[in-house]
Amino acid sequence: MIITDVLRSLSSADGPSGYEYRVIHLVEEEAKKFPNVFVDIDQLGNLIVKREGQGKKIALFAHTDEIGFLLTKKESNNYWRFTTIGGIDPKAIISQRIKVYTRDGSLAWGVVGMLEPHLQTEETRKKVPSLDDLFLDIIDGQDKVNIGDIGVFSTEPFLLSERYFTGKALDNRVSCVTLLYTLELLNNFIPKAESYFVFNIREEDGSPGAKTVAYRLKPDLAIVLDVTHGDVPVPSMPKVELGKGPALGIGPVIDYSYFEKLKSLAESISVSYQMEPLGARSGTDTDIIQITRGGIPTLLISLPLRYMHTPYEVVNIRDIEETARLLSYFIARGGE
Amino acid sequence: MKDLIRKLTEVNSPSGRESKIREVILNELRNFIDGYEIDKLGNLIVWKNGRSDKKVLLDAHIDEIGVVSSFIDDKGFIRIEAIGGISAYNLIGSRIVFPDSGIEGVVGIEGETPQDVQKNLKELNFDKIFVDIGAKNREEAERLVPIGTFGVYSAGFIDLGKRIISKAMDDRIGCAVLIETIKMSNPYYKLYGAFSVQEEMGLVGASVVAFNIKPDFAVALDVTAWSDTPKGYKRMSIELGKGPAIKIKDNASISDRSIVEKLRSIAEKNSIPYQIEILIFGGTDAAAIQRTSAGIPSGTLSIPCRYVHSPHEMIDIEDAENAVKLLKALVEEEE
Amino acid sequence: MYLKELTELSGVSGYEKKVRDFIKEKIRDKVDFIEEDLIGNLIAMKKGRTDKKLLLCAHMDEVGFMVSNIEDDGKLSIIPLGGIDTRSIIGKKVIVGEKEIPGIIGFKAIHLQRDEIYDPPKMESIKVDIGVTKKTEAESKVKIGDFVAFSVESINHGSWFSGKALDDRGGCSILIDIIENGIDLYYETYFVFSVQEELGLRGAGVSAERINPDLAIVIETTTSGDNPEFPSDRRSTELGKGPAITFAHSGYVVDERLFRWIIDVARENNIPYQIKRRTVGGTDARRIATTLAGIPSAVISIPARYIHSPMSIINLDDYDNTLKLVSILLTKEARL
Repeated sequence: MIITDVLRSLSSADGPSGYEYRVIHLVEEEAKKFPNVFVDIDQLGNLIVKREGQGKKIALFAHTDEIGFLLTKKESNNYWRFTTIGGIDPKAIISQRIKVYTRDGSLAWGVVGMLEPHLQTEETRKKVPSLDDLFLDIIDGQDKVNIGDIGVFSTEPFLLSERYFTGKALDNRVSCVTLLYTLELLNNFIPKAESYFVFNIREEDGSPGAKTVAYRLKPDLAIVLDVTHGDVPVPSMPKVELGKGPALGIGPVIDYSYFEKLKSLAESISVSYQMEPLGARSGTDTDIIQITRGGIPTLLISLPLRYMHTPYEVVNIRDIEETARLLSYFIARGGE
Repeated sequence: MKDLIRKLTEVNSPSGRESKIREVILNELRNFIDGYEIDKLGNLIVWKNGRSDKKVLLDAHIDEIGVVSSFIDDKGFIRIEAIGGISAYNLIGSRIVFPDSGIEGVVGIEGETPQDVQKNLKELNFDKIFVDIGAKNREEAERLVPIGTFGVYSAGFIDLGKRIISKAMDDRIGCAVLIETIKMSNPYYKLYGAFSVQEEMGLVGASVVAFNIKPDFAVALDVTAWSDTPKGYKRMSIELGKGPAIKIKDNASISDRSIVEKLRSIAEKNSIPYQIEILIFGGTDAAAIQRTSAGIPSGTLSIPCRYVHSPHEMIDIEDAENAVKLLKALVEEEE
Repeated sequence: MYLKELTELSGVSGYEKKVRDFIKEKIRDKVDFIEEDLIGNLIAMKKGRTDKKLLLCAHMDEVGFMVSNIEDDGKLSIIPLGGIDTRSIIGKKVIVGEKEIPGIIGFKAIHLQRDEIYDPPKMESIKVDIGVTKKTEAESKVKIGDFVAFSVESINHGSWFSGKALDDRGGCSILIDIIENGIDLYYETYFVFSVQEELGLRGAGVSAERINPDLAIVIETTTSGDNPEFPSDRRSTELGKGPAITFAHSGYVVDERLFRWIIDVARENNIPYQIKRRTVGGTDARRIATTLAGIPSAVISIPARYIHSPMSIINLDDYDNTLKLVSILLTKEARL
């Protein structure tokens, strides 16, 4: 598969939490292209791709949902009030074009507006508006939109430079692509593990998707793929840089013996990696999976990403390749 | 239906002390169900067989917010802690009843100077209020309301015609809707009604209620906030009397898309008025049911309610009646 | 009573191994069954007169930190595991990692501070000094992800006891005493020494799920507030007034039948007790109660001062009375 093509197609697909089905179907189509896989979509809408193999049961999780918008109230003319699905910085959405899915399936278009600064007072000009101060100006399809309709960023993904790729929803479609690429690389092995590639729903909605799939599968090991902040200094934390390989999470939600195994494998096959100390919780699906159904050993692998939860997130293609290489060896060797 | 709502709201059963309301509900339903169970946490689960093996779970919580006595001083004044999301502001000027003994008291506020009182009112919390049950001294108060005694608002049922007001409308109105639905329906699905405990403490009862049933889908019935009063929430559009509200999202969960669509199309087919709800805070039992074991598609049908968590919660009776119609159609309709 | 040994061991949340090994060693020959589960909870079982099951739970973990980065000057940046107030940690001795490397938490001298004297220190400004000056030197002793635990000598002062980690090694000690004392148990009793309580009640639910008991009693060490800075009407408990019995805490109203049963048993046996008056904070009871199809749970606590700091205090009469009360309860059938 051509990584950038799949990444482009998944970034362009729209699927806020609870409405991931378009993304799920795209991933399903991609996954079906590989041999020795079985696909299943469960009652909540999670996609589970089973890859045959003999040995331990390893489940890999990547959430498919993205942040989004919800129309909440019609004001006069074509103005609408809205709320967000997942945490969005109001600064990052002002003057953004939003695509809205109406109930009849057609699209509507709007722009996030605020009162023009010229007309604001000295005081309010100094403040960042909250969601209560913003509105969506529906300029196309205003007669078709309804309360409850879903909106998404309308940004088109593109290759920023040779290795850097940008677009919306790379949190966490970059992990979805990594898992698909891992599936491809697994064809070079006869894996010593039975692996389940889980493309789960609703991470931004408190992880019911990952929890329920973990409950159903009860794997011997769960590996969660998500994104982390890259190329930005965080006090007391080691640097995480794009292009320097996957960041391996460490902390109480991580199984230490598997962590050591993964780390030494990375060293022996020369996959460069970075460290991500997590503290008490990781803020990812890992936290809930660890304490599901009698306890499940967990690992968290994060791909570095810039500008999280904004319309243009940035990732490095090399990180996808290297993460997939590490994972394919790890699964092929049965989690050793 | 008003009589039933009155009967249910007049029972005093805060979170963790639900035995009275459970009994009232069970007596109400005994002749209309094929079986029931009271589980280990005290949830009442009733069922009615259907023509299909498929199962639907409808849930309403039976607890209400309240207070609990935590300290008694020498003069017999009682300090309290909150049970569930009860605001000290709503307690000022309210009466509290401690149902174990039936003792009533009024809530007072501290303040040694008028400025003090103003300041306390501005930054009100449970440290600054107390309950006065008219006791002579500590001994008398301790006998009547020992530490650890649960209490609720003492506030009556008021019938304004189309609108009704009461305490504990959250979520006795959901209970009333569920009771009526069970009584009136001839279900296609095997219908489970869950009357769950300790919702106000963080969805305690609902976390376990679906575990053994494993329904094919579930709908929680609860109240939702409103935006149709002066300077009401500007980002919400819920109005009393415009029909039950089909929830898209609140702070705790996003409703399953298929359930939203199912409720919506049934309402439209049967010409039942409905509203679409996005609550920008809060949560319902659906969040807990959804993540039970391998996952249960879940949604919420809400009754719009003004002044939620105050002693005087107001609903529109037609919204409740339309909720019953909608749910009846939901459980009776073949797929 | 193993208060001294238990409190001097380090067992930061997620790093409970030393405490677990100590307890295992003490009880292994005195129970009918013992195992460690996938996330590190220690579960021991003693048979009773019936095959009904009771779960008795105390958590092994204590609040602490983990190393998040090793700075160029060899100082260690740390992040908290559990709720710790940065105002109580300056000038304390710590140990770092499995190798127990000693360190201290120093701080800028008062002479050099200006307006910030009364500002609580920010976590980013807290560094651990292990007596090295270079990053490479530090890296030969410690690594990112190592735990950082307070190092405090515990002292038995007769009727008082001071030391760190009394929350909840006090509970652990009670459980060991009960096992050693050979009580005539009514229930098949599962003694669960749980992990990660301080990180959000994460461990105990996993054990409860495996055991599926008929009821659970959590033995905790709880806050008091019985000091001159706090009015008596707002205190949670008072030291020396007996075990504290909880009616409700954050996220759970204790099963009413169990609450009343415990009080009745205390009264019948003339054991002093107090009702815990404040409802802030939570315990494993919340997690256990909402496990599987629901497990009625109760909480009994030893009152303590200054928990979650490097130095806490309990009254040993309270300890004895808690032990006595729980021991009698375990010989009886609970009222359910």
